[in-house]
Amino acid sequence: MEYDENGVSIVPADLKKEIFEEARKDFRYEEYVRGCLNCGVCTGGCPPHRFFDFSPRIVLQKMKSKDPELIWTMMDEYVWACFQCFTCAMICPFLNSPGGVIAILREIAVRRGFESAKKVLKPYSRVLLKLTAYGNQLSPDMIQPDFFPDWGPHIGYASTDLAVKRKAIPMPTLQVTNLAWDVAPETMKELYDIFDEAGVFKIIEAVDPSLYEIIQDIVDDVRSS
Amino acid sequence: MSENILVIGGGPAGLNAAVMLSELGVNVALVERDSFLGGNPKKFKYKFLFPDMQPADNVIGELIKKAESGGNIKVYYSSEVSDFKENGKKFDAVIKSASGSETKTFDSVIVATGFEHFDPARDAKYSYQLFDDVIDIKDLERMMGENNFVRPSNGKPPKKVAFILCVGSRDRHVGNQYCSRVCCTVSVKQAIEMREHFPDCEAYIFYMDIRTYGFFEDLYWKAMEEHDVQIVKGRIAEITSGPDNTVVCKGEDTLLRGPFEIPFDMVVLASGMEGGPQSPEISSKLGIELDEHGFLKPENVTLSPFKSNKPGVFLAGACTGPKAISDSITEGAAAAMNAYTYAVKNR
Ligand SMILES: Cc1cc2nc3c(=O)[nH]c(=O)nc-3n(C[C@H](O)[C@H](O)[C@H](O)COP(=O)(O)OP(=O)(O)OC[C@H]3O[C@@H](n4cnc5c(N)ncnc54)[C@H](O)[C@@H]3O)c2cc1C
Ligand code: SF4
Ligand code: SF4
Ligand code: SF4
Repeated sequence: MEYDENGVSIVPADLKKEIFEEARKDFRYEEYVRGCLNCGVCTGGCPPHRFFDFSPRIVLQKMKSKDPELIWTMMDEYVWACFQCFTCAMICPFLNSPGGVIAILREIAVRRGFESAKKVLKPYSRVLLKLTAYGNQLSPDMIQPDFFPDWGPHIGYASTDLAVKRKAIPMPTLQVTNLAWDVAPETMKELYDIFDEAGVFKIIEAVDPSLYEIIQDIVDDVRSS
Repeated sequence: MSENILVIGGGPAGLNAAVMLSELGVNVALVERDSFLGGNPKKFKYKFLFPDMQPADNVIGELIKKAESGGNIKVYYSSEVSDFKENGKKFDAVIKSASGSETKTFDSVIVATGFEHFDPARDAKYSYQLFDDVIDIKDLERMMGENNFVRPSNGKPPKKVAFILCVGSRDRHVGNQYCSRVCCTVSVKQAIEMREHFPDCEAYIFYMDIRTYGFFEDLYWKAMEEHDVQIVKGRIAEITSGPDNTVVCKGEDTLLRGPFEIPFDMVVLASGMEGGPQSPEISSKLGIELDEHGFLKPENVTLSPFKSNKPGVFLAGACTGPKAISDSITEGAAAAMNAYTYAVKNR
């Protein structure tokens, strides 16, 4: 990927236009993008605004500009600075939703497997695997100091002797450490159908092809059982 | 036999209508719900009026004097129209006051029931009523009018004051999409007054558009050129408390600073104007239309802004939407002319 002097990836003008059209066709677009007073209330209330050069007002203004060039400048990094807290949507006097616009743009980036989306989703591959293949989000064996530095000073202790610690929990916990709870095969199959229908597997294939293969192996196993 | 005309509301608009009709020899019944005349300017003790900073008393005091001494005007204080019926082309109204009820027949009616100030407590982000040092423009008018410009929290003079525009206006969350028209000019006027009388107090104005329309723009230029008022583009997202008993305005300076959090000794909210509870009440009592903004609706906003949809009932002043005193007075005169013509025609 090549970048211009502003750090914006260089792509053909046609693609930029396509991205804008795709965003505009989204069923939520009309509700999220109304008019903008350029008042900055959204930005004043936006948590990441205090840490990064990021402004939901700019997001809405760029979207209102209908200029595919301007909208593209947000696709690499800008949209990923948002916490998706929707404070902006709660306080905008025009009832816009800059956070909602960002959700639309992010979903496009993910569906199309853009570099930025791959980079951002990489740390979540283990969660994606557990979730889509086993219907669990977090399992005991995922608790490792490297991955959860924010869990405090006892994360090291918490991540050892998992099997023993699990047994100490006074309710049925499967006595296993690779799952948090048991999901019946019928339920798993239904989940897979939902993921198929909703295009979740397709998205994973776009952003992480090797993860997709691992998941598909498990899915095939369960489906044929 | 002279005409009988009912004027409801004794603010600038209703007062001027009553005075003009009285000069024409009409018998006027002026019904005012408060115990005094003068409307909002009197109630909140406006001291100096924009655009020329003349003492409010020159205008409001003058009108009240004329109304109270005009032989043909009967003022009903602390009273209301409790019942209203059409009677052919005339109207039967019951005027209820402390001294009892009176039923009278009128040839025509002028509604001049005015506006209410938006209550900033309705928009939680401004922390009005939470922090003593967050006040609004009507509170400041009253403070200045009473020569009592100090921080409510400690009684000391403030050193740094912020004015926040568009409070309760141009905001769908509070249900008011319209611009209240006068609050930019009022705020700029107040900032100038403050800088004149308290030169060591800094003034900031946070705006998203400065709407000092027409000649009011002179005040805006003057505020910057002669009084060093700081004008910052950005609407405030939140007001919190800060160190040393300050109130902190948080927002985005969309032109210069980006994100900011600035502590102030005092914050003045430019609350807008609303139709108040009186507009729907009068609308249903008199059978005249209300508009989508909560004000009374003229028959034609451009051709006949002073006529209601009901023949014989006329409108004047801020009851049809935010406006300045001069406009209210002009409309009072226009409504008087129309009410008089209607009365004479149907005598
Ligand atoms: C803070 C502030 C400062 C301002 N300063 C200026 C200024 O410097 N210069 C300027 O030109 N304009 C100024 N204005 C605008 C000005 O206040 C209005 O233009 C003016 O008050 C409108 O006059 P009015 O008679 O229509 O209504 P009001 O002043 O609202 O008077 C209406 C009257 O009707 C009475 N009433 C209401 N309902 C009933 C009822 N049902 N029965 C009987 N009586 C009723 C009320 O009690 C009131 O006395 C300012 C506005 C604000 C908010
Ligand atoms: S949703 Fe995103 S843009 Fe909106 S306030 Fe939260 S972090 Fe900021
Ligand atoms: S709060 Fe709404 S109107 Fe104001 S700048 Fe943000 S998106 Fe625009
Ligand atoms: S007059 Fe100024 S402060 Fe008042 S609503 Fe209009 S723009 Fe906002």
